[in-house]
Amino acid sequence: MSSRRPGFVLEVDRSTPPTLFWHGEAFRLERLPAGSRVIYPPEPLPALADPDAAIAHALAHPVGDSAPLADLLSPGMRLTIAFDDVSTCLPPMRQPDNRQRVIEAVLELAAAAGVDDVVLVAALALHRRMTEAELRQALGNRIYDAFAPSGRLTQHDAEDPGNLIHLGATELGEEVELNKRAATSDLIVYVNINLVAMDGGHKSVATGLASYRSLRHHHNVRTMQRSRSFMDQPHSELHSSNWRMGRFIASSGVKVFQIETTLNNDTFPSQFNFLQRREWEWSARDRASYLAVSAALDRTPDRLARSIFHSIRSPHSMSGVTAGEVEAVHAQTTEHIHRAHLVPVQGQTDILTMGLPYVGPYNVNSIMNPILVMCLGLGYFFNMYRGRPLVRPGGVLIMSHPTPWAFNPVHHPSYIDFFEQVLTETTDPMEIEAKYEESFATDPWYIHLYRTSNAYHGVHPFYMWYWGAHALEHLGGVIVVGGNRRAVRRLGFKPASTLADALEMAEDIVGRDPSITHLHAPPLLLADVT
Amino acid sequence: MKALLFEHSNTRFAAARVASMVAHGAGVGVGPLRLVEMDQPALPGSDWQLVRPALAGICGSDLATLDSRSSRYFESLVSFPFVPGHEVVGHLDDTMATRVVVEPVLGCATRKIAPPCPACASGDIGGCQRVAFGHLRPGLQTGYCVDTGGGWSGAFVAHDSQVHVVPEDLSDEAAVMVEPAACAVHAALAGGAGDGDTVVVLGAGTLGLCIVAALRRLSLPGTLVSVAKHPTQRRLAAELGADVVVEPGEVRRAVRRLTRSLAVGPAHGPGRLTGGADVVLDCVGSAGTLADSLAVVRPRGRVVLVGMPGKCNLDLAPLWQREVSLVGAYAYGREVLAPPVGSRRTFDLAFELVRDAGLGRLVSARYPLERFEEAVAHAAAAGRRDSVKVVFDLQAGARRPVRRVP
Amino acid sequence: MKEYAEAPRTSLSHSRPKLSLPKLHAGFPWVAPSWPTSLERTVAQKVGVDYDTAWARRYGVRLVRALLLENLTRPALRILADPAVCGMDRLEALEAPAVFAANHCSHLDAPLILTSLPARLRYRTVVSAAADYFFDRPWKAKVSAGLIGAIPTERQRVNRRSMDLAAELLGEGWNLVVFPEGGRSPDGWARDFGGVAAYLAQRCGVPVVPVHVEGTGEILGKRRPGLRRGTTKVSFGRPISAEGLTTRRLGEQVSSAVTALADEATTDWWSARLRAGAAANPAITGPEVASWRRAWALGGGARRESTDWPKR
Repeated sequence: MSSRRPGFVLEVDRSTPPTLFWHGEAFRLERLPAGSRVIYPPEPLPALADPDAAIAHALAHPVGDSAPLADLLSPGMRLTIAFDDVSTCLPPMRQPDNRQRVIEAVLELAAAAGVDDVVLVAALALHRRMTEAELRQALGNRIYDAFAPSGRLTQHDAEDPGNLIHLGATELGEEVELNKRAATSDLIVYVNINLVAMDGGHKSVATGLASYRSLRHHHNVRTMQRSRSFMDQPHSELHSSNWRMGRFIASSGVKVFQIETTLNNDTFPSQFNFLQRREWEWSARDRASYLAVSAALDRTPDRLARSIFHSIRSPHSMSGVTAGEVEAVHAQTTEHIHRAHLVPVQGQTDILTMGLPYVGPYNVNSIMNPILVMCLGLGYFFNMYRGRPLVRPGGVLIMSHPTPWAFNPVHHPSYIDFFEQVLTETTDPMEIEAKYEESFATDPWYIHLYRTSNAYHGVHPFYMWYWGAHALEHLGGVIVVGGNRRAVRRLGFKPASTLADALEMAEDIVGRDPSITHLHAPPLLLADVT
Repeated sequence: MKALLFEHSNTRFAAARVASMVAHGAGVGVGPLRLVEMDQPALPGSDWQLVRPALAGICGSDLATLDSRSSRYFESLVSFPFVPGHEVVGHLDDTMATRVVVEPVLGCATRKIAPPCPACASGDIGGCQRVAFGHLRPGLQTGYCVDTGGGWSGAFVAHDSQVHVVPEDLSDEAAVMVEPAACAVHAALAGGAGDGDTVVVLGAGTLGLCIVAALRRLSLPGTLVSVAKHPTQRRLAAELGADVVVEPGEVRRAVRRLTRSLAVGPAHGPGRLTGGADVVLDCVGSAGTLADSLAVVRPRGRVVLVGMPGKCNLDLAPLWQREVSLVGAYAYGREVLAPPVGSRRTFDLAFELVRDAGLGRLVSARYPLERFEEAVAHAAAAGRRDSVKVVFDLQAGARRPVRRVP
Repeated sequence: MKEYAEAPRTSLSHSRPKLSLPKLHAGFPWVAPSWPTSLERTVAQKVGVDYDTAWARRYGVRLVRALLLENLTRPALRILADPAVCGMDRLEALEAPAVFAANHCSHLDAPLILTSLPARLRYRTVVSAAADYFFDRPWKAKVSAGLIGAIPTERQRVNRRSMDLAAELLGEGWNLVVFPEGGRSPDGWARDFGGVAAYLAQRCGVPVVPVHVEGTGEILGKRRPGLRRGTTKVSFGRPISAEGLTTRRLGEQVSSAVTALADEATTDWWSARLRAGAAANPAITGPEVASWRRAWALGGGARRESTDWPKR
């Protein structure tokens, strides 16, 4: 794109065409009341012309207190390359993935330096293990075929007592327990994809390679309620804790060479161009493809629609790559992500509306179950702010998603039980944490499935719920448009058939003539609210 | 007197069977049950009394009979044409002042069998070994026997040993629940749940709810899980003492999590638990619930069949491999409790349970005999219609209006 | 008595409508969106001389255009205009590309010339058309470019962009039909030829083919509304090479060649040649006299009577 336009805030008037809302594996066109605001994301940053050259340059010219990577590699050393899992690049990007490009570059240097002992580890934390197809997608066949057969392509196992090491505790008593292979290596090279501002920095190693014992110190309700938002590192307790741990890890002698890559915001392939365009600029072709896609989706069974959407490969391009010392790298990455995502917004709103898409970080190739709907809406999208939340305290969040009563039993077994046995009792994060977290976290069945199958850890649905804890505390009400009524009620939210009804219902909470703001995402944006 | 009479008619049985495929309880419209004007049954002996029913419940076994879904096993244990109704509170005819509940099992004493069989001699009339013999025609309970009549009529006869006087302060609604409560007490104790055990009760109809109440009061389960389909059932189960109330589709997952068991079977969810509940009481008795029971009971655990089963297709391999005890729980007599209580009549325990747990609230709807088709339809769909126990009101007119479940 | 029909009509079934055809007054996205009033329209629709016609020269579009030309335009013109084509032999030696310069009386001229061209040239020919008339609205631009392969040309002033485009296309081997008068004749007489054809031929080193079209003004003229049937004649002159000529000289040659062709079309070849030798062909621009006399001069002789249709 020749001239990239920044994100902006539209004030809806009576000439404004209806606004596009995501609705799971579908879309809605909704007419917002005049006076509403719509926040549009910035247009994509230009892609790097030669990503491989940029990577090579970054590795040779690291930032912060770090030598070039080539100088850190020597024969006989133990090298562990950790990389982000399936949750960071949404939708999965077209090959070659950033991780493939970077890791290949790192491996070239390692080979040149004569490093024999190299292990790759997917930094899963408590996420599900990646499938072979997903690993091949992320790393490419060259790496997979070279490392997987000999068992040198591993996935972090936070429940493997034989491969965890307890390094100690931070000054605030936060225990640090990490992947042993990584922590005892001479060098960890961590390869990131930073999709949103939350990713990366010390969170990479301190979270991605940690165990439940370590994670519970920052993955809890108290921390999440004090992370305002967790997309804004200086004001995020989640990150403060991770930074303490990260510095502790460094002081324990674990050497980390961090490589962070950023993506431009070019999220959807050309068939879905209308998703990235402002409605009044839709060409005849955009309109035709919207109509065709909508009509086709209407007639497609849910399962098929899901698999079609999950087969989308995003044209994301690498827009930046930085390597070196963790904090210096992350400062540059954050600056870059802000350039890609920040949209200045003046003042808060009474009602925030959003359309939730079919995919979030935790349902790649899977079903967006009701708990993930909550997490995506109240966790991620609500927290897409810097400064103050987009919606005022006591305001209402309206989100549009079908919220099906459906779960992927392979990926989310503990979610089902959480939904059936915890949410029927209470939706209060504090109470849930106190009463149920431990029993789910230590349940041998979930641990077994996490370690051997492709299941999220038993405690993961709790984290999803904690992710929304700040929003639950902040909001006066949550309304879901077009969702399964029983499922929405179980989440503790109110179901509404149409946006108009939802707005009427919201007026009961925020009063007549409320201000309304719509978050027009994805493509993602980060509202800089003043 | 007016009575609902159940006659032997193969064509009507068949019609009822077909109709019941459409909807449970639909069999009554075309089946062999008729409202008739008939004579009061004669007293079979001097130790018999005429009872004029006030309320008579519609039991799950009655519904199965009306739909011709009962096992043919019972054919030789009943005598046609009979008047159904074995959950009865009524008045003794002599004065109309004495209010009684009838213990319907027809043991040796009622059949003038002397000496009584060993079971009856010990008071365990539910286990009578001379059932269907003696001077009465066959009929395992009042309400299945030509000679005694049954509760769905103006009057029937009861042996002195069957009659339990109802205390003044117990309402008719509470009293009519004594018989099902007795079944529940018996079944709950048949499970033999010990302290801290995990007990699962499948089904939350009258019996399921009564069993939850009985377990809560007579044994000390660690975790009591009730599997209930409908909202009112779930609320009542929790009120009566269930720790965890789950929906039918959730039972395997819930028991797995509560017992921290592992599971084997299909990847899409716990198929069969490797551990599981100590005791499972199946108050439904279908092949599906039996399979669930065997899937969630722990090795060497106990499954109690409370709901009346018929022929069913079931894989018993887990029963064998896990050495599960599968026991039935039909009726009652005496129960042996832990010392210092010792042996007590089940009905006495049932009276206490009804009073303690307030089981009278389970009576949801009352119908006069004339509206028996509606009554049966209501009883067959009780859960869906937020009801539990549907009863006939035999002294309608001079009575209070229908009371709903609170 | 209250009738049942008054009961509220509620449907318990939530079945989807079977077919969702656009309603008659369907809104967005069936029709183009309006813009928020608060926004200035930043993405100007590219029309006029800026309209990009590249799509109309893609293979698929050319194929469709050729099919339309052969199966729709040609039969329609045959019925309507009954064209006689002469001078085809003069094109045999022509080496494409070339500029075809014609007089202009009617919208029919361009399609008529296109259908008259030899097949080897016909499908690689674009027509220079007035940007302010044929490309002023998006739909007109699409029809013009799609149907006859028009390219936008600025006629009020010399526009570099349109000249560059025409030159570029000539360079790529496309033939170009231009109407150097810069518009249809307002009164039946031709106007002075501008220098466009000569300029382009000179710039690209391609020959100019003079073309005269006769009779189209009677069928669909600027002055006369509606269509009438008539007969037409398309005459191709001998290609004029641009070599060794100044642009001005080339322009004059083209102009006089078309004048001679006009003479030839109404008289015979030999007389026209004789008059051409003496530079005495009747000017197609008509006498420079008062407008009524110009009209009068058109009335007889040189111009054919129109024939009524259907014939009486």
